[in-house]
Amino acid sequence: MVENRPWLSFLTHLVLIAGVVVVVFPVYLAFIASTHGSGDFMRGLVPLLPGPHMLENYGRMLTQGISTAGAPPVSIMLMNSTIIAIIIAVGKIAISLLSAYAIVFFKFPFRLLAFWIIFITLMLPVEVRIIPTFAVVANLGLLNSYVGLTLPLIASATATFLFRQFFLTVPDELMEAARVDGAGPMKFFRDILLPLSRTNIAALFVILFIYGWVQYLWPLLVTTDSKYYTVVMGIKRLAATADSEPLWNLVMASVILAMLPPVLVVIFMQRLFVKGLVDTEK
Amino acid sequence: MATIDLIDLKKNYGNVPAVKGVNLKVADGELIVLVGPSGCGKSTLLRMVAGLETVTSGRLEIGGRDVVKAEPAERDIAMVFQNYALYPHMSVRGNLEYGLKNRGTPRAEIDRRVQEAADILEIGPLLDRKPRQLSGGQRQRVAMGRAIVREPAAFLFDEPLSNLDAKLRVQMRVEIRKLQRRLKTTSLYVTHDQLEAMTLADRLVVMNAGLVEQIGTPTEVYDHPATLFVAGFIGSPPMNLIDVASLSNRRGLDGLPAGTDIIGIRPDVLFLTPQEGISLSMQGTVELLEPIGGESHLHVRLDSSGQSVVLSVPGRPNIAEGSAVTLHARVADIHPFNAQTGRRTDTAVANL
Repeated sequence: MVENRPWLSFLTHLVLIAGVVVVVFPVYLAFIASTHGSGDFMRGLVPLLPGPHMLENYGRMLTQGISTAGAPPVSIMLMNSTIIAIIIAVGKIAISLLSAYAIVFFKFPFRLLAFWIIFITLMLPVEVRIIPTFAVVANLGLLNSYVGLTLPLIASATATFLFRQFFLTVPDELMEAARVDGAGPMKFFRDILLPLSRTNIAALFVILFIYGWVQYLWPLLVTTDSKYYTVVMGIKRLAATADSEPLWNLVMASVILAMLPPVLVVIFMQRLFVKGLVDTEK
Repeated sequence: MATIDLIDLKKNYGNVPAVKGVNLKVADGELIVLVGPSGCGKSTLLRMVAGLETVTSGRLEIGGRDVVKAEPAERDIAMVFQNYALYPHMSVRGNLEYGLKNRGTPRAEIDRRVQEAADILEIGPLLDRKPRQLSGGQRQRVAMGRAIVREPAAFLFDEPLSNLDAKLRVQMRVEIRKLQRRLKTTSLYVTHDQLEAMTLADRLVVMNAGLVEQIGTPTEVYDHPATLFVAGFIGSPPMNLIDVASLSNRRGLDGLPAGTDIIGIRPDVLFLTPQEGISLSMQGTVELLEPIGGESHLHVRLDSSGQSVVLSVPGRPNIAEGSAVTLHARVADIHPFNAQTGRRTDTAVANL
């Protein structure tokens, strides 16, 4: 749509800017709050300019945490969240790639049934099956461990489905050419299918990393040891203090810190997959 | 360098037969073209030779070795696909090398063969490009290069030119022919384009509905089509097949073999002027005149049966549509067929 109407472009920009303000303002407010002293936010007049306590607040959260609220230093929680999000994203991608490869390229009995069974699990997200899953994980003695935190979340019907759809678009001749060229199934997968799926993998990694990062309910259930707390559930702990006002400046500092890694992942990976989209191959 | 022997080769998809028993001996260094309408089983046959389709029954030997159970990679063949099937993420060099690397060919040998293939096909400057940066013709060359570097016992071509535009197709056709002569590699070539088939083949295999209709050199097949199907399929415009019973004037047909009830006359041996010797004449009305350059195609509706026949006439004759004409054909040029068997009635053609 190329239209040269000054009013229209003024209006569209107005709507855009309004949207940005609505989205960005709370984040801005969180940042401002994290730079003030402990009581400043409770005075009724919300400050809109940065205060002088930024380094102090962030330093305290990163190194000490708030022991009264039962929260370890944010640095530990950030590390946990990063480990868990990466294990979930990488695990989901690896398993989905392999199962989609099996479903699309191999002819075995009940192939379609296998696909539909995987597909149907889409209707059963973690929240629905949380009690039985918890029982299984607890009986296996996996509470308070990285395995317990990630394993139940790793199987992914969505990613399997996405890779299946992508593999279906890969021409059969490519596989046949590889067979004639002496590439066995795993060699074809590694040498040809994986490089072709690069952009899909990058895009999915971003989505799945954030999915893993924002997990709240599951870590809350399976962790009792503060060594394994993740940052998203930790924030909840910081805010829910008994008998006193929450230390909003410190809570907001944690919030800002918790936001940084996903933002970095999006910014970094986005360059990768936009590049992938530009020189699309196949 | 090898021979390829197909012995009563059959392929069923479930209960549906796709190839119904094909016997074919391809001599060393020969280029055999499989030609036929779509769905006739020619591609299936080629893919069975390649090992991409299983063999339902029969024997298949490459270089005297039974390969029915062998993997494609173990058959020492190289295949050129219709859509080229180049690996999109590899450079041209990577594409050429891939098959050799998988076979553990030494580096020096790989480089030598790639260089040689690049020289033959004149794709040297393209070696570091990706397939998407190449034109259709260049991709076709790379696909051929991938076959050449392997130095296989046989080349298999699966309609390699059908994705190219008309001009490039003619050019690449000539190149494939030259290349095959030079390398003297046994080749099987599948196409539905009869012009391609006629110009490329040492021998033609005309297929229809899973069966071989005729095997022979292009001139043999053109001059002596063994069946009605071959008669109608090879030649452009196709041969006119006329029911003998529908002709009002059968003078001149007495000499044809017994059992002849359909006669075939090629468009270029139908004339508007009386011919010497014993000849057949038919009355008709001109329906359409198609000038196609050096010659014109004249569509004439026969008065006796209402059937439309085509004749090629040199130049651009000045004939009005709707005017009455008399067509003449020498009896010697007539192909006699029997409608029941679909075969020729004069001489039995061998290798059926």
